[in-house]
Amino acid sequence: MSDAVLLNLVLFLPLLGIALLLLAPADNHDYTRRITLAVMVLQLALTAWLYARFDAGVAGLQFETRVPWIAAWGVSYQIGLDGYNVLLVMLTAFLGPLVVAGAFTAITKDVKLFYAMVFLIQFAMMGAFVAQDLFLFYIFWETMLIPMFLLIGIWGGERRIYATIKFFLYTAFGSILMLAALIYLVYALYKTTGVTSFAFADLMQAKLPLNVQAWLLAAFALSFAIKVPMVPLHTWLPDAHVEAPTAGSVILAGVLLKMGTYGFMKLGFPLFPDATQLFTPALMTLAVISIVYGAGLALVQDDIKKIIAYSSISHLGYVMLGLLSLELTGIQGAVIQMVSHGLVAAGLFLMVGMIYERCHSRELAAYGGLAKLLPVYSVFFMILTLASVGLPTTSGFTGEFLVLLGAFTGAWPQYQAGNSLPLVLAVVAVSGVVLGALYMLRFALTFLYGAPRAPHHSDQHPLADLSGREKTILGLIVVAVFAIGLFPDEPMRKTELAAQAYRQLVSTPRLPGGTP
Amino acid sequence: MNTQAVLTAMLPEHLVLLGIVALVIITIIGRWQRATLAVSMLAVAGAAVAAASLSLSGYAAAPFAGQFSVDPATLMAKAVVLAMVLPVLLMSRGDFADGEFELLVLSSLYGVCLMQSADSFLTLFLGMEIMSLPVYALVMLAYARPQSAEAALKYLVLGGTATATFLMGVSLLYGSSGSMSIGTFSQTLAATDSLGRAAVVLVLLAFFLKAAIVPFHTWAPDAYEGASVPVTAYMAVIVKAGVLLAAVRLFGQAQVATPLLELLVVLPLVSIVWGNLAAIRQPSLRRMIAYSSIAHAGYLFYAMLGDPAGRLQSVTFYLLAYGVLNLLVFAALPAAADDRERDRLENLKGLFHRAPFSALMIGIAMLSLAGIPPLPGFVAKFLIFKNVMAAGYTTYAVLGLVGSYLGIYFYLRVIQFMFMSPDARTAPRAATRSVALGASLACLAAALLVSVFPGWVLAQF
Repeated sequence: MSDAVLLNLVLFLPLLGIALLLLAPADNHDYTRRITLAVMVLQLALTAWLYARFDAGVAGLQFETRVPWIAAWGVSYQIGLDGYNVLLVMLTAFLGPLVVAGAFTAITKDVKLFYAMVFLIQFAMMGAFVAQDLFLFYIFWETMLIPMFLLIGIWGGERRIYATIKFFLYTAFGSILMLAALIYLVYALYKTTGVTSFAFADLMQAKLPLNVQAWLLAAFALSFAIKVPMVPLHTWLPDAHVEAPTAGSVILAGVLLKMGTYGFMKLGFPLFPDATQLFTPALMTLAVISIVYGAGLALVQDDIKKIIAYSSISHLGYVMLGLLSLELTGIQGAVIQMVSHGLVAAGLFLMVGMIYERCHSRELAAYGGLAKLLPVYSVFFMILTLASVGLPTTSGFTGEFLVLLGAFTGAWPQYQAGNSLPLVLAVVAVSGVVLGALYMLRFALTFLYGAPRAPHHSDQHPLADLSGREKTILGLIVVAVFAIGLFPDEPMRKTELAAQAYRQLVSTPRLPGGTP
Repeated sequence: MNTQAVLTAMLPEHLVLLGIVALVIITIIGRWQRATLAVSMLAVAGAAVAAASLSLSGYAAAPFAGQFSVDPATLMAKAVVLAMVLPVLLMSRGDFADGEFELLVLSSLYGVCLMQSADSFLTLFLGMEIMSLPVYALVMLAYARPQSAEAALKYLVLGGTATATFLMGVSLLYGSSGSMSIGTFSQTLAATDSLGRAAVVLVLLAFFLKAAIVPFHTWAPDAYEGASVPVTAYMAVIVKAGVLLAAVRLFGQAQVATPLLELLVVLPLVSIVWGNLAAIRQPSLRRMIAYSSIAHAGYLFYAMLGDPAGRLQSVTFYLLAYGVLNLLVFAALPAAADDRERDRLENLKGLFHRAPFSALMIGIAMLSLAGIPPLPGFVAKFLIFKNVMAAGYTTYAVLGLVGSYLGIYFYLRVIQFMFMSPDARTAPRAATRSVALGASLACLAAALLVSVFPGWVLAQF
C-alpha cells in the first residue's frame, strides 16, 4: 500500500471506528472500550510508520493526495504531511489511545456516544492538520466544535452547560469572521491572478494591498487567537477545562489548543506577510502578556484544573513568541513547545482525572502529603511538574529554551537599530519561566508534601495507588517527554525545512514596494 | 400551440394533476381509502422523476409562448421541490388518514410547479393562488383546537393582503409598460420614475409577505404552530421554495441597483437578525422553526444580490439543504398522543435516552440549519455568501454572516435539551411510526449525499 493511501487511512480510521461502534451492542461497555482502543492503537501504529517514513530532507508535501472535490469552486480534497504538521499529527495519534484508556473507568454514562465523539474529534483534528486546502481545513476546523460541545456538555461537571455554550459561541464567532475573510481571500486571488483555488499553495501567491491584508489577517488572527487562546480572548478556556471530563480536558489541552498556533504558522502569518510585519509588535506584546498573565493567575488558583488551564495560556504564549521571532531556533522551539505542552498538559490533566476519580474534589486545599499516600502517583506527578517547569532533559526545557534563545537573537539586532521593544518583551518573557516554576512548585508542594490528607481517604479505606492501566498511560507520556528532552535532534530535523520555509514566507514582503 | 410540447413540457404538472384526479375519485367512491398515500406518492415521485429526466436530457420548450416555459435549470429546481414533498406525505400518515391531506397538498403543489415556470404575471398569479388556497385549508385541517382556526384566519387575511399588494404592483407595471410579461419587472428595476418604482416595490413586498420577511412575518409563527406537523413541514419547506424560486424567476437577469438594493439588503438582514434572536425565546419547536425559517428566508433573499447567472443555482441548492434538514426535524419528532405536546421544547429534554435515533437526527438537522460544517447547511450558506461577496457587497456579506452567528445559540439549545438535560417528567411516550422513520432515513441519505459530494450536486443545477 502506498504511503499516501496510508495517510488517508489514518485520517478516516476514526470514522470506521464510529461505524464499528454503531454495530456494537448497546449494553456491552467493555466491548465498546476495547474496540475503540484497538482502532486508536491501529491509528497510532500507522501514523508511527508514516512518521518513520517521512523524509526530513524533502521540502514540501509528502504522501500527498489531491482530488477535485467541488471542482467549480476550485476546492479539492488535498491532504499531505509536511514539516509543519508531521509532529502534530504524531502527537494527535499518540494521545488518542491514551485518552481512550484514560476514560475507561471515568465514563459510565452514554458510553457509546462518548467514544463516538472521541473518534469524531480525532477525525476532525487529524483532518485539520493534514488538510492542504483552505475549504477542507475550515470544514475540519469547525467540525471539531461539535464533538467538543457534546463532550463538555454531556459528561462535564456541574456548570457544564454554561461552559460548553460559552466555548462554542466564543470559537464560532472567530470562525464566522474567518469564513468571511476566507471567501474574500479566494475572491481576491481570482481577481488578481484569474485562478480560483482554495489550495494553500495557490493562496500564498495572492498579492493583496496592505489594508486588505490587515483586515484579513485580523479576521484569521481573531479566530486563531481565540483557539490558542491569547489574552484577552482566553476566558472560555478555564471554564471549559474545569467543567470538561478528563478526556475532554486532555484533548483540549493536548491537541485542540495547538490548532490556534498551527493556524498562525501554516496560514495566518505566511498568507499575509506584510500585515504580519505590521502586527508583530502588538501580537508579540499580547504573547508576552499571555505568558506572564497566565502564569500569574495560575499562581493564585485553588482549583487544580484551573492551575493547569492557566499554565496552558502561559505555555502557548511561548509558542507565539517563538513564531513571531522569525529566528530559526525560535520557530523550531515553538514547534517543540507545542508538542511538549501537548504531552505535559495532557499528562497533568490525566493525573488530575485519576485523583478526582478517587477523591471527587478538585480543590487544592483539600489535598496534602500525597507522596506518602500514593507514592507511585507522586513520582509521575513530580516528573510532569518538572517537565512543565522546563527542567533540562525534559521536553519542556527544549521548547522554552529555544523559544527564548530565538526571541533574544531576533531582538538584539533590532535593539541595536534603536527598537528596544522586542528585547524588553524577551526579558519579560524570561520572568514567565520563574513564575512557571513558582506556580508549579507551589502546586506540587501543597499536593505532595505536608500532612497526608485527601477527601475520601481514611486509615481504614486508604486510597488505591495507580493501577497497571494508569501506570502504562503515564509511563508512555513520561517516556515521550524524556525522549524529546534528551534527543531533540530527531524531531527538529523533521521540522527544519518547514521552519526555514515559514521564515522565508513571512519575512519576504509579498508586495512589490516592500513593507511601507 | 404544439400538443407535443404541451404534453412533454408540462409532464410533471400533468402527473400531479393525474394524482389529484385519482384522489378525487377515491374520495368520491369511498373505497380504497388506504391507497391514497400510495397514489399521491406515486404521482409526486413520477412528477419528480419526469422533471429530473427532462432536465438531464436538456429539454427546453415554451408550450404557451409568453405564459409558460421550461428549461433544464428550472426543471431541476422543480424536481428538487417535488422530491421534497415525498417525506411530507410519508410523515402525514399518523395524522391524516382519509385522503384530504394528500389531495390538498397535491393541489397546492400544482400551483408551486406553475409558479416556477411562469412567464407572465397572469400565470404567476394563478400559480400563487393555487398554491396558497389549499394551504389555508390545510392549516384548518387540524381543527382539534381553536388556535388552528385563528392561525388559518390570520394566514388567510395576510395572504389576501399579499395577493392584493401583488395585483396592485402588477397593474402599475402594466400601466407603465403595457405588458404582462414578468420580464417587465426586471426591466423596471432600474426605473427612476415613481410609477415604475412603486410597482416594483409593491411586487417585491408581496413576495416578502409570502416568504415571511420581517416586518411582514407575524403570520408565520402562528400559522406554523396552529397547523399540524406535516402541514408545518409543507409550509416551511415547499411553500417557501415555491415563493423563492418564483422570485428568482422574477429577478431574471437583472442586477439589483440602488435604491431597491437597500430594500433588498435591509429587510432580509433584519429578518436574519430578528428571526434568529426571537427564536431563542420560543417555547415550542414549531414556533422556533417558524422564526428560523424567517431568518432562512433572509439568507435566500440575500442570494438575489449575487450575480444573476448564479442565483438559481444558489437558491435551489440552499432550498435543498434547508428543506431536507427541516423535513428531517419534523419526520424525526417522536409521535405523541396530542399534537400540541409533540413539539414542546421542554418535552425534548432527555430525548436521547428515550429515542436516541430521533435525538441524533434532530441534532444533525439543528447543526445543519445553524450552518455548522460539514453539514449541508454550511455549503449552501457558503455558496450564497460567496456570490454576494463576488458581486462586491463585502460589508453586506459580513453583516449577514454575523447575523447567522446569532442563530447558533437557539439551535444548540435544542441539542442541549436533548442530550444534556435530565429526562422530562411529562414527556409523552408513543410508538415510533415506521413511515416517519422511512422519511427521516430518506432525508438523512439526501443530506449525506449533499455533504459528501456537494460538487456533484451543484453540477446538476
